[in-house]
Parts: sequence; structure tokens; C-alpha cells
Amino acid sequence: MGTRSARPARPTRPAARRPRGTGLLRTVVLTLVLVLATSCAVRTTSVLRDPDTVRIALNAWVGYEADAAVVGYLLEHELGYQVQLVQIDEQPAWQALDQGAVDVILENWGHEDLMRTYGPEGNGTVVDGGPTGNVGQIGWYLPRYLVEEYPGIDTPEGLREHADVFRTPESGDRGQFLAGAPGFVTSDQGLINHFDLPFEIVFAGSEAAQLTEVRNRYERGDPVLFYSQDPSWVQNDLDLVRVRFPEWTQGCDTDPEDVSCDYPRYELNKVFRAGFARDGGAAYELIRDWTWSNADQNAVAQLIADDRLDPEDAAARWVAEHPDVWRPWIPEEAR
Amino acid sequence: MATAYPGTAPAAAGGPAGRVVGRLAWGLGVLAVLLTGYAALHGRFPFPDVYAALPDRYAWVEPAALFDRAYAWVVANRNTSPLFLYGFNYLSVGLGSAVVLINQALTLLAWPGVVLLGVLAAWRVAGGRVALLVLAAFAVFGLTGLWNEAMTTLALITTSVLIALLVGIPIGIAAGRSERVERLTRPVLDFMQIMPAFAYLMPMLLLFGIGNPAAAVATAVYAVPPAVRITAMAVRDVDAGAVEATTSLGSTPWQLLTKVRLPLARRTILLGVNQTIMLATSMVVIASVIGAGGLGDAVYQALNKVDVGRAFEAGVAIVLMAIALDRVTAAAGSGGAARELPPGPRRWRRAVLGAGTLLALGAAAGRLAGVGWLAGWPDALTVSAAGLVNAANDGVQALVGTWAAGFAAALLAVVLDPLRTLLTDSPWWLVVLAAAAIGHALGGVRTALVGGAAILLTGLLGVWEFGMDTLSQVIVAALVTVSAGFVAGVLAARSDRLAAVLRPLLDAMQTLPPFVYLIPVVALFGIGRVPALAAAVVYALPPVIRLVNDGIRGCSAGAVEAAVSQGSSRWQLLTKVQLPLARSSLLLAVNQGIMMVLAMVVIGALVGAGALGYGVVFGMAQNQLGLGMTSGLAIVCLGLLLDRMTQSAART
Repeated sequence: MGTRSARPARPTRPAARRPRGTGLLRTVVLTLVLVLATSCAVRTTSVLRDPDTVRIALNAWVGYEADAAVVGYLLEHELGYQVQLVQIDEQPAWQALDQGAVDVILENWGHEDLMRTYGPEGNGTVVDGGPTGNVGQIGWYLPRYLVEEYPGIDTPEGLREHADVFRTPESGDRGQFLAGAPGFVTSDQGLINHFDLPFEIVFAGSEAAQLTEVRNRYERGDPVLFYSQDPSWVQNDLDLVRVRFPEWTQGCDTDPEDVSCDYPRYELNKVFRAGFARDGGAAYELIRDWTWSNADQNAVAQLIADDRLDPEDAAARWVAEHPDVWRPWIPEEAR
Repeated sequence: MATAYPGTAPAAAGGPAGRVVGRLAWGLGVLAVLLTGYAALHGRFPFPDVYAALPDRYAWVEPAALFDRAYAWVVANRNTSPLFLYGFNYLSVGLGSAVVLINQALTLLAWPGVVLLGVLAAWRVAGGRVALLVLAAFAVFGLTGLWNEAMTTLALITTSVLIALLVGIPIGIAAGRSERVERLTRPVLDFMQIMPAFAYLMPMLLLFGIGNPAAAVATAVYAVPPAVRITAMAVRDVDAGAVEATTSLGSTPWQLLTKVRLPLARRTILLGVNQTIMLATSMVVIASVIGAGGLGDAVYQALNKVDVGRAFEAGVAIVLMAIALDRVTAAAGSGGAARELPPGPRRWRRAVLGAGTLLALGAAAGRLAGVGWLAGWPDALTVSAAGLVNAANDGVQALVGTWAAGFAAALLAVVLDPLRTLLTDSPWWLVVLAAAAIGHALGGVRTALVGGAAILLTGLLGVWEFGMDTLSQVIVAALVTVSAGFVAGVLAARSDRLAAVLRPLLDAMQTLPPFVYLIPVVALFGIGRVPALAAAVVYALPPVIRLVNDGIRGCSAGAVEAAVSQGSSRWQLLTKVQLPLARSSLLLAVNQGIMMVLAMVVIGALVGAGALGYGVVFGMAQNQLGLGMTSGLAIVCLGLLLDRMTQSAART
């Protein structure tokens, strides 16, 4: 095509001196325009994904890590998948499922509100994957040596009476209650209000920092009162007692400012990205059929936490010793 | 505003000293008023709940509620609203895919291929020594068993630096050519640089989702200011004669830009690229909190298991990656001048490069063909220093643990608690007035207005108490940092041997991700504000020491010699000559120290600092955008306050 221009034709230059940047820029712009024009609406779920990779959300406690290690090991070694562990907090993990950034949460503690938002009744991007077989208990924990020193300290009344034992410079003239990671489910302030406990919540800000402090105090035999859950690696490591609040009943914890009961027992479950449940193939089937006991999980968690084994080595050891437990999880066609 | 003329410096020697005394007196006066106000009225005027007083019709203006509603809307409409379907989702899907693609390309090359190409590229661009450094970095990635993580981080850095440059360089060029664009962009860039890295993460999370896309955008946004600033500066400073000559020859503006301005500004622009890469490297680690993979995630995971040694290994890998990237890009920027070119005739060099590329392609082919040992770094080839580091950590703790705990308790009782009580319990208007008064003393009416408004805004965001708590911690940490930094900087300036020992240490401290030393400080000081303060001081010290050292060493030799020949003692020399002459460096050091302390507010919340930082962390973990954003913005307000005050102190 000839161009009609009033300007005189440009002199031809040697090829090496052509403005390379211009050409490149035009190509980039053209490609972008083409891409924008040919594709249309983009849903977040259409991000490039390798179908042979399973992306597991990894919450930061060792029980979860044990789940992820064993499930991941089986996916890799029995079914030939690649596994990517995405470290993420509890609630953002749901968002990640919604956006298609991860495929499964292996150990979910409650979160009915999120299920309403993202589940079949909400926008339908996640589905319940059934129980893992583990039962979880959140609570206030203290070392057993304190109960021996101050009998009855593991009750709301005992805590009220001995609150000064837990004083620290950071909590001032009230006892210190060491809260857990910011992402965890809590009703601690509600408990303090309802039982009129002279305690100040000190937010450790991360589970790692909290556990470091707990361990230090435990080693020195100092008093410490903190948020924790069972199963969890500190539970295996330290001899702890859970404070006996009245048992959980329906509705006793609806008002976060006034909670008259202990944390509920959680039947831990799996949560899938809806798309993964639809076309996750053998990987989905394995995770769906995976269930095990607290003892199984603790065995792996102990290898990771106490023996400082790499999660993958811990999983390998457990898998080698317990074929009867995991054989049934493997899909028929892959056995 | 008055500017000091260089020539007046010696004559004004009594001037600055007099001003310092005047300012000190003014500051003490403000403190006295604040104390009196506190004594008379403490607890009587908490910051009012402005939004409760509003009629229902206007109640929606409450910032936290506004953000929460925006959050709910985005969650409900992310995959239906055109804003997302045709807007943000493009970016997030494109970026997420780019990271996956680059990562896959690196995987495809297999580790021998990546090492070969990386080392050869470094050799070609920066010479033999840098190539060895790159080789060492790759070796550490492999030996520590962090190869895949390092590759993911490399993919993330590449993606986000590309976006940052794609956006930043054109804006920089525009700002360099037009005064108006420059004026428009400057406040935005200021704001971006004051905003702590963590505060970027929440809105990114919201708009771009979790994981690599959001991490790439957050990293790019964090890293873009130097790209814009330095490009603008480079384009503006291009020799006017060259520009005029070209214009008079009848060049079009496009030709002028591509033929004259950009080529002449190339070196400076590459310096901007270097800075962008360095910022991206530090941000990629922090982005692990929103699900970015790679080395940052390795640090974060190790911390969650309280495995300091493992975190340290991953931290060292990051430091090495940062140093390698820095040296390679710095050499690329300095052109042929400063670098030592590979030895031997050209043809020989080409042959080596060609053979290397072929070998790398061979490795990729081998990987495709399924050669087992190419699939990943062999496990047998790993060593671990984690046990050693953990043992050292335990040792230090056993040695000074009790002492440190006592120190922490004392610091809380004597300094931190009283200051916090003073700020939170004083009448709020008195605190605002005090900020304005100090601003006035340091920089005049404008600084007074900005200071007062910034601190008032903290209250209007609905986080007054958190804000004052954080402010008290920042003040104490900044005082410790600045005084320790000044002492160390002066000592380093006086002893070449000390300076030589310090330099690599400071380099490492500046690039080591702050996550790495969080757990050791908790082990030492327990949970709470003191370990956070310690971490902030460790993080903020290096630039202060460096600036003080450079400033004093930069004093004119003549002035120093004259003073010595007149029989000044070393102390007189320091206080009468060197410190006054290095004044602008010292004030910059104060400013930098404070801003770095502020950047640690959120990270400090991970070890129990509470207050605004915890608001951000909690908001992020619990999906409460309102709390997270208002806390993040309040940190920006405090940053604005402190930055303006110290900067105008440096100017006047």
C-alpha cells in the first residue's frame, strides 16, 4: 500500500539505525489491543493453571501441615500430580478458593458465615468437602504445673482469684491473656466480659511469636495463659490443661461482647473450589475420600514438630507404616 | 522559605546552634504544656465519636464502614461487574499467568540451564567477578534446597519489575518533559513512599485477588516511585545544548525523545531500574503474607514453625539474590566504563557465549526428554546450616535472656507506658495543637497546618487511640535508632577499620527480610512492644549509620585541617566543625531513620506491638477491610506528620 503524504519521503537509513524501540512498542500495543478485543469478559477463575498441579491452601498450624504433607505426598507419589502449597490465613483462604487461586482447604474450622457467602447458597464458588475425621477444640490453655500450684485455677472462678499470677509488664495491673494469630476465630473478649475476669488480652500478632513466648515461659516454669487449639503441636510438646468454661450450647456465643460458654467442638471439614470438585479428576477423588483420626494426624505432626522432620519426610514415613489407612483413599482406577 | 546559601555556612556557625537551642526550648515548652494539660484534664477529652453524632442520613461517611461496604460489594460483584470483568480481572489474570509462564520457562530450562544462562549473562554484562557472585548465589539456592522457591521469586520479581517499568518510565518521561505533570505526580509519589509496604497489600488483595497476581501488582506499585523519579530527573537533566541543536535541525518531538533524550539519559534511567529491582526484591518477601510463593514464603513458613535457622537460610538466599541483581544491573547502568570486560578477544567471548547458550538449550531438551537429574536440584546436593543457627540463637538467648527480659520490663514501665498514657489520655485537641506547635517551630505555618491536620485525620479515621499508641512507640524507637546510629556513624567516620567491618554487615542488614529477626527478638524480649521496638531499631539503623558516616567523611578536608591546626580537641572538631558541616546529611539521617521505623509498625504487630499495625494485620487476616484500611491510612498520616517535620527542619 502506498502512503500519501505531503512530506517528502524519508531517506532510507541503514537497518542498524532504525528506531528499534518504536517497532517494539507498536508490536506490544497491537498485541495488547488484539488480546483485549478477541477475549472478552474475564473471570478471575480463568488465570492460567497447570491441570496437573493441585494447589492446597496451607494454614499455619502443624496439624494442618500434617494433613497437607500426607495428602500432598500421596497426590505426588501415587497419582503423579504436582502439589503447590499456598501459605495463607484462614479467611483469605476462602477468598482464594472463590478467586480460583487455590483448589482446596484441607482443614476448615467452622466459618459458617463464609460458607453462606461463597457456598451454594451464596455465589456458588466453593463446596463442602465433608469431614476430615479430626475433631478440633479451641480453648484457653495453661501449663499443668500451675494447676498443681494453684488448685482450681483452671476454672473461671480460679482465674478471677489468681489473675495477679499472670501479670506482666505488658498487661499492667491485670492478668495477661496471650491471644493467638490474628486470623483465628476468637471470643476471648466476650469470655472476659461475661465471667468478669480481670484480664488484658495481649495480641501476639502471630502464632509463631505466641508459641515462642509460651515455650519460654514454660521452660522457666512461669505462669502463662493462652489461646490454643487441640490438635496442635504445643499440645504434644507441653503438658497443658484447658480452662473449664461451661460447655458450648447453641447460641451461647452469638454476642461477641458477652460469651457465656467455652468454644464449640469443631468437626473439621474440607472445602473445595467448586470448579475443582467438578473437574479435579483423581486428585479430587483422593482428597474427597481422605479421612483419618486425631491420632493419625498427631503422629505426623509430632514427626514434623518434635523430630524436626521435613514435612515430606514425615509424610513418607507415615505412609510407609500405614498403608491400610490410606489405601482406600486412592481412586479405583489408580490402584 | 529561607534557604541557606552555601557561602554563609561558616559565618552562620553560631546560627544553627542558636536555632537548635531555640527549637529545643520550644519543644520543651510544648511538652510542659502537654504535661500540664494531661495533669489537669487527663481522660476528660477522648477523641469524640464524630460519626455517632451525625444524623443517620450522613452516617455513611464513616471511613471504616465505607471500606467494609466496598469490600462486600467487590466480593459480591467480582465476577459479574464490568469493572472487574473488563478491568481488574484482565490485569490479575494476565499477571498471574505471566508469573506462571516465567516460572514454567525457568523450570523448563532446568537448573543447569538457568545457572549457565544466568552466569553467562552476568559475565557478559558485568564481568568475571560479578559472574562468580551470581554463581555463588545460584549455588546457595541449590545447596539450601530452595531452588524452586528462588525461581518463583525470580519470576515474581521479573513480572513486577516489568510492570513497574512499563508504567513508570513513560510517566517519568512525561514528568521530565512537562512541569505540570511533574507537579501532579510528585505528591502521589511522596504518598506512595510514605505508605508502609504492608498497607499496600489490603487494597491489592481486594482488587487483584490472592496469590501471585496481587503480589505482583503490590510489588510493582511499591517499586514504581524510583522508576518515575529517576527517569524524570534523567530526562530533565539532558544537556540543553543537545536538545536545542536537534530541535533546530527540525526533529519531531518523537525523534527528539528517542534519538536524543533517552539515549543521553540512558545511564541514569538504568540507575532507576536498579533501584526499582531492589525495592521489588524487598517487597516480594512481604507479599508472602498475601499468598505470594517463593523465598519470602519459605521465610514465613519457617517462622510459623519457629525454625529460626531455616528462616535465616531463606533470608540469606534473598540477600544473595538482591546483591547479585544489584551488581548486574549496576554494571549494566555504568556502561562499559566501570566494569571489567571479559578477557580475551571478541571472537573468543562470542564462542563462549554461544557454547553456553547451546548447552542451556541442551539442558532444556534433556529435561523435555525426561532426564531424571535435570528435573530438579538433586536432594543429595543439599546442606543445612539451620541447626547451627538455631543453636547459636538458643545460646544467645541463654546468655542474655534474663537480662533482656529485665530491660524490656524497665523500658515499658519507665518510657513506653508513660508516653503512651500521655498521648492517649491527654485532651485530643491539646495533642493536635502540640503537633501543630512543634511543626511551626520546625518549618513554619505550612508545616504546622500539615502536622495538625495529619494527626487530626488519625482521629477522624476512627483510630485515635491506636494512633497515639503507635506514635508513642515510633517516637521511642526513632530516638533509640537516631542516637545509636549517630554514635555508630561518628565512630565509623573516625576509624577506617570499623567502617570496613561495618559495611558488609550494613549491606546484609538492609537486605535481610525483617521477618527473619522477629522470632529471635521475641525469644529475647518476650511478647509485646519491646521486641517490636528492637526489630524496628535493627531495621532502621543501617541507613542512619551510613548517612552519618558519609556526611562526616564528606566534610571539606580544608575546614577540618584548619580546625586541627588551630588546636581544636577532637570533641571540639566534632561538635564545632564536622557535625555542623554535615548538617544536611544528619537531618536526612534522622528523616530516614524515622521513616524506616514507621515502615516496621505493621511488622512489629506480628510480635505483639498491637495498635495500628495490629489493625492492619487483623484486618487482613479477618477480611475486615475497614479496620485494615483505616489503620493503614492512619500510619500514612503519622508518616506524613513526621516526614514533613523532619524535612522542613532540614530545609530551614
